[in-house]
Amino acid sequence: MTTARIRAGYLPGLDAAEVDWQVLPFAQGDQALEVEVPVLSAAQMDALAARVRQASALHLKTMAVSEIIAVIDQAIARLLDRSDPYRQQAEAYLPVVSGYDRDMVRLGLTGFFKTFRAAQLHRFVAEDFANPKVLDGFQPTPKGGAVRAFGPDLLVHNWAGNVPALALWSMVCGLLVKAGNIGKLPSAEPLFAGWFARLLAEVHPPIADCFAVVWWRGAGDDGASALYAQADAVLAYGGNEALDAIRRRLPVTTRFLPHGHKLGFGVISATALDTLKAPAIARLAAWDVMRYDQQGCYSPHVFYVQRGGAVSPRAFAGYLAGELANLHQRFPRRPLEVEDLAAVARWQQGVEWQALSASAEGPADQLIGASSAAWSVAYSDTLQPLAPTAMQRTIQVVGVDALDDVVPLVAPHSRFLQTAGIAAAPAELFRLAGLLGAVGVTRISAIGSMSAPEAGWHHDGRFNLLDLVRMTEIEQSAELAAEPLAPYAD
Amino acid sequence: MHKVTPLVADLLEFIAMDGCTDEQFDEMALRLFAHQFAANQPFQSFCRLRGVNARSVKSWADIPAVPIDAFKALPLRCEPPAAGDRIFMTSGTTRGGSTRGQHFHPLLDVYDLSMTRNFAQRFMRGANRMPMGILFPDEVAMPNSSLAHYLDLAKSAFGASGASQTFVTPQGMDLDGLWAALEAAERSGEPYALLGASFSFVHVIDALRQQGRAFKLPPGSRILDTGGYKGQSRELPLDAFYTELSQALGVQRTHCINMYGMTELSTQFYDDGNAQVPSVKSGPHWIRSRLVDPVTGRTVPAGERGILVHCDLANFNSVTTILTEDVGLDAEGGFLLLGRAEGVEAKGCSLAVEEFVRATAA
Repeated sequence: MTTARIRAGYLPGLDAAEVDWQVLPFAQGDQALEVEVPVLSAAQMDALAARVRQASALHLKTMAVSEIIAVIDQAIARLLDRSDPYRQQAEAYLPVVSGYDRDMVRLGLTGFFKTFRAAQLHRFVAEDFANPKVLDGFQPTPKGGAVRAFGPDLLVHNWAGNVPALALWSMVCGLLVKAGNIGKLPSAEPLFAGWFARLLAEVHPPIADCFAVVWWRGAGDDGASALYAQADAVLAYGGNEALDAIRRRLPVTTRFLPHGHKLGFGVISATALDTLKAPAIARLAAWDVMRYDQQGCYSPHVFYVQRGGAVSPRAFAGYLAGELANLHQRFPRRPLEVEDLAAVARWQQGVEWQALSASAEGPADQLIGASSAAWSVAYSDTLQPLAPTAMQRTIQVVGVDALDDVVPLVAPHSRFLQTAGIAAAPAELFRLAGLLGAVGVTRISAIGSMSAPEAGWHHDGRFNLLDLVRMTEIEQSAELAAEPLAPYAD
Repeated sequence: MHKVTPLVADLLEFIAMDGCTDEQFDEMALRLFAHQFAANQPFQSFCRLRGVNARSVKSWADIPAVPIDAFKALPLRCEPPAAGDRIFMTSGTTRGGSTRGQHFHPLLDVYDLSMTRNFAQRFMRGANRMPMGILFPDEVAMPNSSLAHYLDLAKSAFGASGASQTFVTPQGMDLDGLWAALEAAERSGEPYALLGASFSFVHVIDALRQQGRAFKLPPGSRILDTGGYKGQSRELPLDAFYTELSQALGVQRTHCINMYGMTELSTQFYDDGNAQVPSVKSGPHWIRSRLVDPVTGRTVPAGERGILVHCDLANFNSVTTILTEDVGLDAEGGFLLLGRAEGVEAKGCSLAVEEFVRATAA
């Protein structure tokens, strides 16, 4: 076994020798990795926050958005270049910390980074700001007067989860609104955010102090409290209980933007189930299940499949099972801990017992394929409420008579809704989107794109950038009242 | 009252023996399996689903392990329901769901013999009777609790008459009564036994701390805790729990014994004190355990963590072999109990079952 040691985080202005470092151990197969993460005292955190705040005022807030985009674009170009050392270490170590298959991580990173190139970032800004120049200076408004958007001086990110490089989303958002950024690494993937910070500093040294990447255990103690106390806005990811705990620690005046865990599902219309289209859609659906072993907030847990097509819902479930078996050959599921195995077993056995207890009357629920396979498809011919599976490529397929039947099944869980994948004809798509949107779905994608949100998407139905800024308006009255005070006034 | 069948008579004899060979264990396990396979339709269907029939089981480890959730979904019983049945139910607190698992006992002879034989050896350690305090409601208050029955049986079979008492009712704990009993034990110098739910002991620790007092029970006194905190008290790590318990009552950690039992079983596991945690748990000769990958059901390689499967021959009316949700690790003379199989949360940003159930139960 080879053991590598990596120092994570990014702490401008702090002497590494004065920081406490904790080691997080990771191992996959014969590769072991020890990641050193920094634990800052309250005083160190205060100093870091002050430095980031000051540097971003001097160096980031003075850049035009287009210039910032150009810097991010350069950094992303390097992350897309497989010969670049940053890209190489991402490919080498992210599979070790996350456990995900190497090829899955490699493809996932490329697909993800592609959405952060200059063209996409301009679109990202344009999604939220009709006139992106409001981020650079006062712009006239139709009602009269002028308006300018100011990002927070200090934006704190609390990242969570093991989906590789997820921190990129919020960090880019923070940069685009010219915020000073301090992010807390997730213990499950403590690498990427620090690398990205270092890479940005390399690409454009003047902004090297405009961000920092820290860590703390669990909810954190004094260091975390010191940072939270200084934040103008806090972006946090995690379960609702963890989010609630963070919210309680914030002053009421601090803007809090939580992103909780979500529950994705797909809907497949009978119109998509002819003998040509159905297998292709099943393949796409399997990709959505496979990507990051369903750990994404956008990952599907249930596919509702309409009866009446040439391919029955049960047959569709069979195709899906076949595709998952194929994908496991190409992108094996990550090795599971006994706790994950227990969750998978519980879910599978729940299906089995339901089948055994119902076998007397009517069509039974079924588990398709060997229960020991590294994927699992459960099929039910009766309406099943939306509920999470055990993830790790365990998916529920439910036969439905009408697409509208799905709406009351998902409506009770509006708090957990985000992505719905839909395969349906245009008129059906828009009608169903209206119904699902009304009960809480915020993103509708094609089957196969559920796990790859497009650039500029509105995460959890919110405005990624607009939610971060404060608008300052010069009302027309002020503008008019200024006129007589001009040196050229008569 | 239910009649004792020849199978049950043989089982009682088996439990009464001083020990057994592997062959004897397998023989009894296979007899019980054949009986349960024939008499319990849901179990038979489950076995067939696993590709197992009455003839393919050669040893206890071949018996398909029934997941404990099945006790919620289906009646797992061989004897038809009768008026005199005792039904033990799971607390249903662990996952918040409202469905409770049910374990049907047409007669308690086997359960009681299993309990007393094992308890005499592992907790009484040769002592005959002792004054006992029970920190859990009795079985009149909680007729469906296997723990209430277990503790009542401990009190009636091993508690010194007149000096043994239950201090908990569904209304709460009689702390004044408990303090009086503990003071009396201190004065008498005779060993005292305090038994109950782990969370009740946390309440005792907290109450003593609040009042700024502590007891020093006489040498030979002992404590039995079981069942964990179940959200009924503050949660503290095992090591802290036994340190605080030992300080509060003056009982050495070697005499603080933890019982590991389940509603779905008829036999308990014990450790030999908790000087070190996690302690090694073991059971008597009529129960065997193995560690499995819960998805495949296969025994994990030596030295790896796995989910515990127990084959309890005293489970004559339900199923002998159950798949728990407890993570274990092999240890000299038994196994280490590493906790429940949780922790699937927080890997990614997709909603996990545990959080979903908590949220929808709230």
